[in-house]
Amino acid sequence: MDVEQGSGIGDQISGQNSVGRTISRVFLAIFLVCLGYGLITARAPSQTTTNRTKVIFWHRWSGYWEDVVKRIVGKFNASQTDYEVVPLFVTGAGSDTKFMLSTLGGDPPDVMSMGSDSLPSIASGGLLTDLETLMTPAEREYFHRVPYAAVRESGQFDGKTYGITIGADLMGYYVNCAQLREIGVDPDKPPKTFEELVALGERLTRRDKEGHIVRLGLSVDDLATQAIAWGGGFYDPKKGDLTINTPENLACLTALTAQKEKVGYKDAQRFWSSQNNGSSTGAWSFIPGGVSITYDGQWRVDEIHRAKPDMDYRIWPIIPPAGGKPLAGLMGGNFMIIPTSSKQKKGAFEFLKFWSGVTHPERAAESFVAGGWIPLSPDVANAPAYQKFLKENPQFQTFIDILAGPNCQSKPRIGYLQYYLDQITNTQEASFSNEKTPAVALKDLEQTVNTERRKRKELGFDDK
Amino acid sequence: MVQIFQLPMFLPIPPLVCRHGPAGKIGVRRNMKSKFRDNLIGYLFISPWLIGFLVFTLYPFCQSFYLSFTRYNIIQPPKFIGLANYKMMFFDDPLFWASLGVTIKYALVAVPLVLVVGIGLALLLNVNIKGIAIFRTIFYLPSIVPMVATTSIFIWILSPQVGLVNQILAIFHIQGPIWLKDPHWTLWSLVFMAIWGAGGSMVIYLAGLKDIPQYLYEAATLDGASAIKKTQMITLPMLSPVIFFNLVMGVINTFQYFTQAFMISDGTGGPSNSTLFYALYMFQRSWKYLDMGYGSAMAWVLFIIIVAITTVIFRSQKRWVHYGR
Repeated sequence: MDVEQGSGIGDQISGQNSVGRTISRVFLAIFLVCLGYGLITARAPSQTTTNRTKVIFWHRWSGYWEDVVKRIVGKFNASQTDYEVVPLFVTGAGSDTKFMLSTLGGDPPDVMSMGSDSLPSIASGGLLTDLETLMTPAEREYFHRVPYAAVRESGQFDGKTYGITIGADLMGYYVNCAQLREIGVDPDKPPKTFEELVALGERLTRRDKEGHIVRLGLSVDDLATQAIAWGGGFYDPKKGDLTINTPENLACLTALTAQKEKVGYKDAQRFWSSQNNGSSTGAWSFIPGGVSITYDGQWRVDEIHRAKPDMDYRIWPIIPPAGGKPLAGLMGGNFMIIPTSSKQKKGAFEFLKFWSGVTHPERAAESFVAGGWIPLSPDVANAPAYQKFLKENPQFQTFIDILAGPNCQSKPRIGYLQYYLDQITNTQEASFSNEKTPAVALKDLEQTVNTERRKRKELGFDDK
Repeated sequence: MVQIFQLPMFLPIPPLVCRHGPAGKIGVRRNMKSKFRDNLIGYLFISPWLIGFLVFTLYPFCQSFYLSFTRYNIIQPPKFIGLANYKMMFFDDPLFWASLGVTIKYALVAVPLVLVVGIGLALLLNVNIKGIAIFRTIFYLPSIVPMVATTSIFIWILSPQVGLVNQILAIFHIQGPIWLKDPHWTLWSLVFMAIWGAGGSMVIYLAGLKDIPQYLYEAATLDGASAIKKTQMITLPMLSPVIFFNLVMGVINTFQYFTQAFMISDGTGGPSNSTLFYALYMFQRSWKYLDMGYGSAMAWVLFIIIVAITTVIFRSQKRWVHYGR
């Protein structure tokens, strides 16, 4: 029987194998081309334009602020013959996670701007360099003598310095002068007590015929910071212990809750939901006059300067109750850290010094002015560039006063800081919304936090 | 012409040579080599999935079981602590129970509601009228919008002062609640959001409805059955396998509810822990408070809960799911 060559099953399978081999070769070729292209392009951005040593800097500023960061980095690079800083923006949400994973993965940044709330937990894990080990004796002496205490302490954990500020934050009341003058109040004469402030807020609030707030007279919250003005606070820096259910904290929470009740907590929530209260320039309801007196951070000065430079406003410090403590503040913000596994610690520290003003405060003042940031030390604040900035933005002086005052504190330096701050916020919320009385809310907070502390202790966490 | 059935290339091809004697051995070896080469190509083709599964699913799955018995803050190496995480979770963590409570409450409301709405929509859209395809598309569209976009839209729709819902209520002189800021209303807001996405299950119900033999309805009509009776005695029983599928998937998805809760509360689970869903709390514990050991223990408890509920649903199917046998 004649069998046509090449028509057998074996031949057909063999033919299929040949096709399969061809396809696999094509796939392999495509894969290799893609891999090669990826490797080439992956190297491109990190290539420096000079032979200087590359220092990778992660930061969390985007948009306008990213340009500010680039300018500071540009100035540093221009001043250098040894190092070249390469800035890289990482989104704020999850930046800590990215940092930890990059460190564990063996490819961390050399230096990073980190939120102060995350610093203790990451430092307790041994991921951060004690920055004092990189300082000369003279720098160490200067660092312990000159910078503002609250700023310095905010970067410390367990007696070691893991972060140095490049943009710390403080809070105060932003006051719309025109709206105060409308009701015959001089914005240069702040109320003497919190009670007076609340009464002023009532007078400034405007509602439509249906009772909806169309202008909020006073917006205030932040129990953790306000409590300091009541003589309390949630951390005793001297004892290094938490202070939760104290008469002062209770008085503060009661006063804040009473203020919310006066305005109507739900009414205020309705009002806020109609406002664009974004953090970007011009998207803040204070600027168009939606809120007369609002509690916010120092970064808003720069925003007002850019969005409405001719706006007439003042900044008041936190107004204490009768017999309370003036110029209360709780330090937070951006702190520069250097990972223990950084490959360029020396270069990273040079950059950190350049920006923060551990050395050359006059030069560092230019960096702080560029972003409208809280300075590291009186030396930076007194530098000509910073004084010029204060002359142009006299309102900012309030933050410098708070910083230099005796009631400006650092946040608790404990390993579970993030958890603690979240629970304080929840407590405030439960009280404001009348879900719990202030007394019950604080008692519950104490119980919750103590349970957590006990739990962490039993599990062996090193919280200090 | 001989048609050859196309074999997947990674399947072993039966040897065509004799297995006995020296010549056979050589043949077998050659064939094995060829088989290996053929299989290799096949495995190469599926390797992206295979590697992804092994590295990103199976390994983390097993690893998380071990981590659940450790204290692990991501930074330092895990330290074995036995059942301590589980003990703390059950006896010393009110937020664990709070988050479980929020999730169960949501599941009890949202899963049946979305099920009913999905079936209702499918029944409505199972009629032959002009332009029905457009209606089907309209109802299906929300389910393909990314969850983040849907949630962003709902934050505005439920805005107390300027939101669409409260504006409509205001027409009837009703002052709407502050929805996402009031702990009594947040859950209902999320349920509302879930109903918005019922179009996804609706399509599956619709396919199930199309699968029901027409002669059953014709026979029922001849017997004088009313529309309600037909729905009760034919449609729902015949649709029960699809309902069963959607119920199982709904329960699983609900216990993993995260994105919407994260977005509306900025990741806090507020107001007053009313949106602190189990998955959100697990995320907080793992990544925010750096307690990955505890987070892993929570993940395993969640796994066991889901398996238990799914088992119960599976066991119950004998009573109410009809496969037309």
